[in-house]
Amino acid sequence: MSAIEVTNIHKTFQTKRKAAGLRASTRALFKPEYSTVDAVRKLSFQMEAGEVLGFIGPNGAGKSTTIKMLTGILHPTDGEAKVLGYVPWKERQKLAFHIGTVFGQRPQLWYHLPAIDTFTLFGKIYELDDRETQKRIDFLCEAFEIRDLLETPVRKLSLGQRMRCEVAASLLHRPKLILLDEPSIGLDVVAKQHIRDAIRRMNQEEGVGVLLTSHDAGDLEALCKRVIIVNHGQIVYEDKVSNLKRKHLTTKLVEVRYAQEVPADFHLDGVEILKVGRYGVKLRFDTNQTPVDTVMSHLSNVGELVDITISDPPLEEVIAKVYKEGPA
Amino acid sequence: MRKYFAVFTMQIINNLAYPGDFLGRSISIGIFLFIFAGLWKTTFTIAGTDSINGLTFANMMWYLMMAETIELGRPRINRIISEQVKNGEVAYILSKPYNFVLYHFSFGLGDGVMRIIVNLIVGLGVTWILAGPPPTALGWAMALVTMIFAWILHFCMMALIGLAAFLVEETNSFELIYQKLVFILGGMLLPLDMFPVWLQQIARLLPFPYMMYAPARLFVKPDFDLFWQMLAGQLIWVGILVFALSVAYRGSEKMLTVNGG
Amino acid sequence: MRHLKFLFALWKANLQAAMEFRSAFLTQVVFMFVNNGAYFLFWVLYFDKFNEVRGWTVNDMMLLFGISATAWGIAAFFFGHFTTLAEVIIQGRLDYYLSLPRPVLLHVLASKSIGSGFGDIIYGIFSFLISGYLTPDGFLRYLLGVMTGVCIFIAFLTIIQSLTFWLGNTVALSQIALSAVLTFSLYPSALFDTTTKFILLTIIPAALIGTVPAEFVRSFTWLALAQLLAGALIFLFGAVSIFRLGLRRYESGSAIQVEV
Repeated sequence: MSAIEVTNIHKTFQTKRKAAGLRASTRALFKPEYSTVDAVRKLSFQMEAGEVLGFIGPNGAGKSTTIKMLTGILHPTDGEAKVLGYVPWKERQKLAFHIGTVFGQRPQLWYHLPAIDTFTLFGKIYELDDRETQKRIDFLCEAFEIRDLLETPVRKLSLGQRMRCEVAASLLHRPKLILLDEPSIGLDVVAKQHIRDAIRRMNQEEGVGVLLTSHDAGDLEALCKRVIIVNHGQIVYEDKVSNLKRKHLTTKLVEVRYAQEVPADFHLDGVEILKVGRYGVKLRFDTNQTPVDTVMSHLSNVGELVDITISDPPLEEVIAKVYKEGPA
Repeated sequence: MRKYFAVFTMQIINNLAYPGDFLGRSISIGIFLFIFAGLWKTTFTIAGTDSINGLTFANMMWYLMMAETIELGRPRINRIISEQVKNGEVAYILSKPYNFVLYHFSFGLGDGVMRIIVNLIVGLGVTWILAGPPPTALGWAMALVTMIFAWILHFCMMALIGLAAFLVEETNSFELIYQKLVFILGGMLLPLDMFPVWLQQIARLLPFPYMMYAPARLFVKPDFDLFWQMLAGQLIWVGILVFALSVAYRGSEKMLTVNGG
Repeated sequence: MRHLKFLFALWKANLQAAMEFRSAFLTQVVFMFVNNGAYFLFWVLYFDKFNEVRGWTVNDMMLLFGISATAWGIAAFFFGHFTTLAEVIIQGRLDYYLSLPRPVLLHVLASKSIGSGFGDIIYGIFSFLISGYLTPDGFLRYLLGVMTGVCIFIAFLTIIQSLTFWLGNTVALSQIALSAVLTFSLYPSALFDTTTKFILLTIIPAALIGTVPAEFVRSFTWLALAQLLAGALIFLFGAVSIFRLGLRRYESGSAIQVEV
């Protein structure tokens, strides 16, 4: 059974048009004009149980709106959805027992209390008995390495430590699905790594499905097998992450170093030379135009290769390209 | 002098930017006067007389209006000062080319003037409806003069409380207690004339009546003897409190240079 | 009721949060006591001079104060967000409560505790005890009056602040409503004319919180009992209904603050 099934979901907001100037404002008071914003247009997708699905898009793409509809906080204007078999906006409280949420910008942990107190409170909110709660806390402490953070008031924790506790808190009641909205925002590289590892571990060990929205392509690469890219309220791409890179960007970056000096007139057909140094060259080429084999043999013919680095362009570039291109 | 005037005008403009605030305050004055009109009307009806301790119902209402106006116009600088002390800003300010106390004086005055004006207008309207026409010009004149000194007294107290932040963590409680002392012993809720004699005598030894009772009372029943008496008392207390303030101020300066802020 | 355990857990969390700043909490409590005492002194002086007003003596004022202060204190200490509901709605903080499996209104209200409320509770009880109305059934009637008072305070403020769902920012309006209902509840409605008395029983239910329960403690009447129970039930029902309606509007996205 799919964890999430979304069919043609549509969401329009009516915002009051605010005109400038006194006359327009007074007119607006008596006859308000509304402009319609299509936040989400006919979105459909599915997510399997236990999957880690990335949901990315630029600001205003409709990500948060979709998440809110999936958690039942918002009603769609049209369309259907089922999360874990429940219709979110109709059975919100029932659904709430089986999902966890982390909103990067809106903390759940009580600011002045040590995290453990919020955990205990959540235990009561989700109707777990005390022993269950304790066992669960012990497990999460280990998985997220937060044992020694628990007794410190949350306001004294660093952002990275806090997010780890937040994600742990969202898993207290053994949800089948967690929705993480920008969990790594504002975190440094090490903290991000920590969170990703913990999430991955939870997914592997407990089969918790993860729907992750993020601006950070690194989150995507580290965690998600599949990704959905939205823009302007529609899905513009839906596929495995590996395919995303393979199909959409065929550029390769190559950096080589030679044992002898590089000839000044170093030149290669079908290849864009980025930089020529004394012993090294940096170049870029499109694998669709110039086969890898051709480039490699040319390069090794030039001289004795001492070092070589071949890299894919960063995922960011790929995604940015997808944003621009629109629906595939 | 010019810079202090600038601070003063800036606060006035600042306050004008938030008209919604005024609405809220006007309503609280309205509620207060309405309730007390109910209380005193009932009291006078039951007592069966026109005047109690020399004050009529109309006197009472105008008295309360003036008292409330002064209370709402009180400079709230104690909060600002204690904030500045707590977050260390005060060290920075003391090094600036203006006098800390004068700065806060102009600030508080600018802040208070608007509130006083609004209170006067709203209070005037409401009280006129509830109790008839306002007192005579002489009453206004005497009230105005004593109001100035009352305000200065309030200012000194508020500044002292603010500076207490050097010694105590939480000074807002002091403000609360001070406010209550003014309410009772200052005659805001009940004019001193109605106190039992022993309490009146105690009250007159304290500064509080000069901060509230004096202008309010002179407003409704202008009387030259009382006027000179009250003025004298005000001047004495202004002297005492200004002295206390300068001591506290110098003490704070010393504390800063010793502790480094 | 399963929600009771949940409420206790919330209250425990609030208490823990308050204890983090122990000295501030204690100071708040003490000063609230002093604050109320000052208002009280006014009445002592007044009644020293006037003896009684329409059958009300200084003891009756103590009783009135006791009931209102305790009701306010309980509402503030246990359901602290009832004064800041409008802000919670405007700042989008409802989403947090909506994503958890508990009744939203109850959860929001009990998620905050106003520390000084505890001082009001203590003062209220103290005021009642010295009012001279402490008898076994007097005490029971006091408790009933306090309970209905708590319900009406919270329900009234909830109704006003739920208007945020339709009107946007009602913070100023809510503060005025709060100050009106609180202030009037501390004065016997015997002081006012008929129209005002009517208003104080309906639109601004201060009399239902103060005068009516006070009269009820002084002597049991069926009318007073009916007023208290009916008042509490009607206001509670109104509050829950209006909040639910507003919440539905919020969930359809057509209320304030749209975040795409």
